[in-house]
Amino acid sequence: MVSKTEETQLNRLENQVDNGGGGAWEYLCLVRKLKVRRSEKVLKYGLSILNDLKKRSSLGSEEWTLYEQVAIAAMDCQSLDVAKDCIRLLRKAFPESKRVGRLEAMLLEAKGSWAEAEKAYSSFLEENPLDQVIHKRRVAMAKAQGNISGAIEWLNKYLEIFMADHDAWRELAEIYVSLQMYKQAVFCYEELILSQPTVPLHHLAYADVLYTLGGLENLQTAKKYYASVIDLTGGKNTRALFGINLCTSAIGQLAKGRNKEDKESLELQSLAATALEKDYKQRAPEKLSLLTTALKSLKVSS
Amino acid sequence: MALSLGFVVGILGVVILSHAAYSTVQYRGLLKIMEEEFSGPPLTVVAELLLGLGFCMWAALTVPGTFLSIHPYSEENRIVSLPDNLDFMIFNHRAKVFPVELDLKFKH
Repeated sequence: MVSKTEETQLNRLENQVDNGGGGAWEYLCLVRKLKVRRSEKVLKYGLSILNDLKKRSSLGSEEWTLYEQVAIAAMDCQSLDVAKDCIRLLRKAFPESKRVGRLEAMLLEAKGSWAEAEKAYSSFLEENPLDQVIHKRRVAMAKAQGNISGAIEWLNKYLEIFMADHDAWRELAEIYVSLQMYKQAVFCYEELILSQPTVPLHHLAYADVLYTLGGLENLQTAKKYYASVIDLTGGKNTRALFGINLCTSAIGQLAKGRNKEDKESLELQSLAATALEKDYKQRAPEKLSLLTTALKSLKVSS
Repeated sequence: MALSLGFVVGILGVVILSHAAYSTVQYRGLLKIMEEEFSGPPLTVVAELLLGLGFCMWAALTVPGTFLSIHPYSEENRIVSLPDNLDFMIFNHRAKVFPVELDLKFKH
């Protein structure tokens, strides 16, 4: 989870390193800690450290983690020679290592030789059938080959064993959303919210999928979850404010015949609208007129 | 060591508890001499235990000071983005077809 202070720190370090100041090693450590995917920069600055003999020796034993990080970044940027060299060095240093074997299999994946990578992963799994990362790589390979249903099958099998892995649940939810299987995606997001109830982004995604599904009950639940996002983020999430407006107007449209005019839902919508207008006035004042017309049309149709 | 009231009360509570433990051990020794069953500590020791408990709890709540509330939306707690699922990373994206021309070589 990347918090706001960590994000500002990351951006500051990135600017510093981009403009020639030092701090490349700090930047690389922060990227590794936050697990963000900045492959080009990691490759550029990681290689600058590794090619410089003095800087490399000052790292001590941490240079191997840097080799691994640079190898993965190189594979992501399609610089396969760099990746091959890094992995060769790692293999020389750690001849019996499974971790290096995993990197070699990833290199096969990056090259596109799916069958050999599949063979390598299966052999790893024979030795250790409970290796989480290898299972996940197999799912990723199925996804990369375009075999989405195979990926779903593997991922479901993985989640039967490792039910607490919320990254995998999130991946499964995103795959279902991409295939428009919203009911299954709703189930996955519910699992995520159960395991991590204080992360507002899960609530937000759940509310989005519920709103997409439609239907009166789903819309009402979606409105509740948008409200909980606003609660958890202290009102700083614009998408949730929009969500409340849209949900209220959609519910009003659906429930036009019934006379259940609850005053508090109208109050909630007007509060959300005022909060949105204040936000826009502060951050994007030239778009304020667009916002007011959009909100007005929502209120009219409800 | 700030000898505030809470601290003193806390130390007093610990002393009372240890005195209660000591008198229980002595009581058991006495019972062993009189060859009777050890059913439970005498009433004085129970009263001492409750008193010690009360003192220690009060001290534990007052000594650290006022509790600060944790805001989930403060700047350091507010979650801005979820980590990019690096375990499921695939290399089959458009940078494969349009690679960034970095021309970086590994000088070894």
